[in-house]
Amino acid sequence: MTKQGWLDRLRDPSEKTLGLLLLAPAFALLALIVVYPIGRLIFNSFYDLRLSGGGGAKFVGLENYALVWADADFWNATRNTVLITVITVPGALVVGLALALLANLPFKRQWPVRLALLLPWALPLSFAGLIFAWFFHTEYGVVNDLLRRVGLTEPTMWLLRPPLAMAAICLTIIWKTSSFMALILLAGLQMIPKSLYEAAEVDGASRWQQFWAITIPMLMPSIVVALIFRTITALQTFDIPYTMTKGGPGNATETLAMLIHKTTIDYLDLGYGSTLAVCMFVLSMLVTALYLRRVGQSA
Amino acid sequence: MQRRFTLATALAAAALIFASLPALAQTQLRVFSGGQNQRPDLMRKLFDQYQKANPGVSINIETGGGTSELQRQYLSTVLNAKDSTIDIYLIDIVNPAQYYGAGWLEPLNAYVGEPSVALKPYLPVYATSNVVDGKVAAMPAFADAMFMYYRKDLLEKYKIAEPKTWDELVASSKKIQAGEGRSNLQGLSIQGAPIEGAVCTFLLPYWSQGKDFNDASGKLTLDRAAASRGLQQWLNMVDAGVIKKNVAEVKTPDTVNEFKAGQVVFAINWSWAWDRLNDDADSQVRGKVGVMALPAVAGGKSATCVGGWQWAVSAFSKHKAEAARLVKFMAAPEASRFLAAQGSLLPTSLAVYTDPEVLKAAPWFKDAAKAVVAGRSRPMSRDYGQVSDVIRTTTSAVLARTKTPDEGVGEISSRLARVMR
Repeated sequence: MTKQGWLDRLRDPSEKTLGLLLLAPAFALLALIVVYPIGRLIFNSFYDLRLSGGGGAKFVGLENYALVWADADFWNATRNTVLITVITVPGALVVGLALALLANLPFKRQWPVRLALLLPWALPLSFAGLIFAWFFHTEYGVVNDLLRRVGLTEPTMWLLRPPLAMAAICLTIIWKTSSFMALILLAGLQMIPKSLYEAAEVDGASRWQQFWAITIPMLMPSIVVALIFRTITALQTFDIPYTMTKGGPGNATETLAMLIHKTTIDYLDLGYGSTLAVCMFVLSMLVTALYLRRVGQSA
Repeated sequence: MQRRFTLATALAAAALIFASLPALAQTQLRVFSGGQNQRPDLMRKLFDQYQKANPGVSINIETGGGTSELQRQYLSTVLNAKDSTIDIYLIDIVNPAQYYGAGWLEPLNAYVGEPSVALKPYLPVYATSNVVDGKVAAMPAFADAMFMYYRKDLLEKYKIAEPKTWDELVASSKKIQAGEGRSNLQGLSIQGAPIEGAVCTFLLPYWSQGKDFNDASGKLTLDRAAASRGLQQWLNMVDAGVIKKNVAEVKTPDTVNEFKAGQVVFAINWSWAWDRLNDDADSQVRGKVGVMALPAVAGGKSATCVGGWQWAVSAFSKHKAEAARLVKFMAAPEASRFLAAQGSLLPTSLAVYTDPEVLKAAPWFKDAAKAVVAGRSRPMSRDYGQVSDVIRTTTSAVLARTKTPDEGVGEISSRLARVMR
C-alpha cells in the first residue's frame, strides 16, 4: 500500500485531496482571469510601455508612481471621482429608500410598480448618459425648455459650466443607480416581520417612530451591502460622464476611470495607464476595507 | 482492400494539390483599408484592376473601425506585435509621424524616389504631412479638407462678395443677420466640442496669421500670443452674436444639420458636408450653397486643415517590393480620378480637380481646389493622440469660457512642449 503511486492516490483520494481537486478548476479559472491580469497590471506599472513609441517595454522602477504623485490631472480626476462618490452614494440611498418604501406599500397590482423600479437599472449606463445629455442640451434640451416656460429667457449652458455639469452628471447617476438601491432595500424590507409593526402600534408608536425604531435598524444589513456595492461602482464611474461631457469642459468632470481610459486607449501609454489603474485599485481597496471594518464592528 | 486503396488515392491527390500550390507563385497581399467611410468597395475595384494587370498578385482586403481613432488603436496593437500578415495599410493624414517613429512603416524612397520627386505631382500639404526625416513615409490615397461653406443666395441678396478676411466675414454676417431679422440665424458655425474638428478650430485662425505650429522635425514652435489672438477672435465673434453662445457644445453633424435647416450663413466643415447640404431630401438649402477659401487675418494668408488617408507599407511585410508597387498604383492620379468620379473622394493632386470626368461627377471640386491648395497638415507627432486631445479639450474649454485664451494657450504650450520635442 505504501508503494501506491500518485495515480492510485488520485483514483482513491482522501477527503482533503478530493476537496482540493474539486476546487482546482475554480482556482485555475480565478488565477487566469483575476490574478494574472492584476499581476500583469502591477508588472506593467513599473515599465515605460508606450505602443505609440514602438520601442518595447523599458523598466523604470517607481518612476511612473513619482509621475502620478506630481500629476495634476491625476489629483483632479481623483477629486472628481471622490466628489461624485460622496454626492451620489448618499443621494442614491435616500432616493432608493424612498422608492423601496413606496414599492413596499400594499398596492393592488405589484408588477407595474416593480417594473417602474427596474427600468432605470436595466438601461445601459451609456444610454442613460446620452439621454440625459440631450435633456441638458442648451438648445434642444427638455430642461431648458421647461425653464423657458417658467419664464427664464436666457438658456442655461448646463454641460459647459463646471459646477452645473457636475450637478447634471450626479443627478443622472442618482437617477440611474437608485433603482438598484431600491431593489436591495425592498428585499430587506420584505424580510421585516409584520408582527413588529403590529406590536409597535399596540404600544402607541407613531409611523415616524416605527420607521426609526424598526425599519432602519432591521434594514441596516441591506443598507450596508447596498452601500458597499454602490460605493465601489461610484469609484469606477466612467460611462455617464464620458457620454455626457467627455470629461469637459476642459477636464472639470474627468473621473479616474476616464483618465485611465484616455491614457491607455487614446494615448496608447500602457505603462503609465497601468500605474494609474493600480492607484485606483488601491483607492477602491481602501474604501472597501473601511466599510468591511465597520460591518465587522457592528456585527 | 478497396477502402485502403481509395484512402491512398485521396492522400496522393491531396499531396499533388499541395505540391502544385507553390508552382502558381501567387503573391498574397493583405491590405487594411480602413472603415466604411474610406470606401473599401471602391478600393476593391481598384485592386481588381491591379490584379488583372498583374496576374501574379492576389489582394485580400481587411476593413476596420469606423473612426480614425479606432483604426489607429487597432493598427497600433497589431503592429506593436510585429504582425507580418498586413502588407499595406491605410492611415489618417495625422499619423505617418507616429508610424514612422515607431518603426512600423517601410520608408518608400527606394521605391518611389526622393520626397521632392515622389510627392511633386501632389497637393503641397503632402510634402510636410507624408515626409518624416527626409523619408517618404506614406503615399496619398485621397484627401479631405475643412471648407468654408456659405449661403450663395444670401450673399447675392445683400450684394456681398466672398469675404477674404475674418473681419469682413463678421461684417457680412452681421449685415445678413440684421437684414433677415431671425434670432436663430447664425453668422458662422464652427466646432467647439472636444472632438477632432476642434483641433482645426484652434489651428485655423492661428495659421491664418501666417504662423507655424511645429517645424519640419516636429518640434513645437507655438507663438503663444498669436494662438491666444486666434482663440480670442472666436470669442469676439461669440460676443458679436456671429457665433452662437453654446459653441463649445457644437459637433460636426450639428453644423451640418443647422446649415441644412437654413440657420447658418457661413459654416466650416469637412468635405462630406457638401453632399449632405446639397443632396439630402430634408435640406432647405439645396442649390444655395457655395464654397470658398477660408478667410485670413488682415495681412495673413488663407489656410485650412487637410485630412484624408494615406497608403503605407508595413515594415513587417514579407513582400515589401510588391506592396510598394501596389501603393504606387493606388496613389497614382488615375486611381485618384477613379475615387473622385465614383465616390466624390477629394483628389490628391491639383490636376485631377479640373479633370472633366471628375467635374461631371462633382462640379464643386472646381471651387474646392481653391481651398485645398491652401491646406496644411495638423501637428506632426508620434503621440498625435495626445497632441490632439490636449488641443481639442483646451480649445473647447476656452470656447466654454472656463479658461481664458491666455490660460488655454499656456496649458497647450506646457503640455505639448513635453510631447513635441
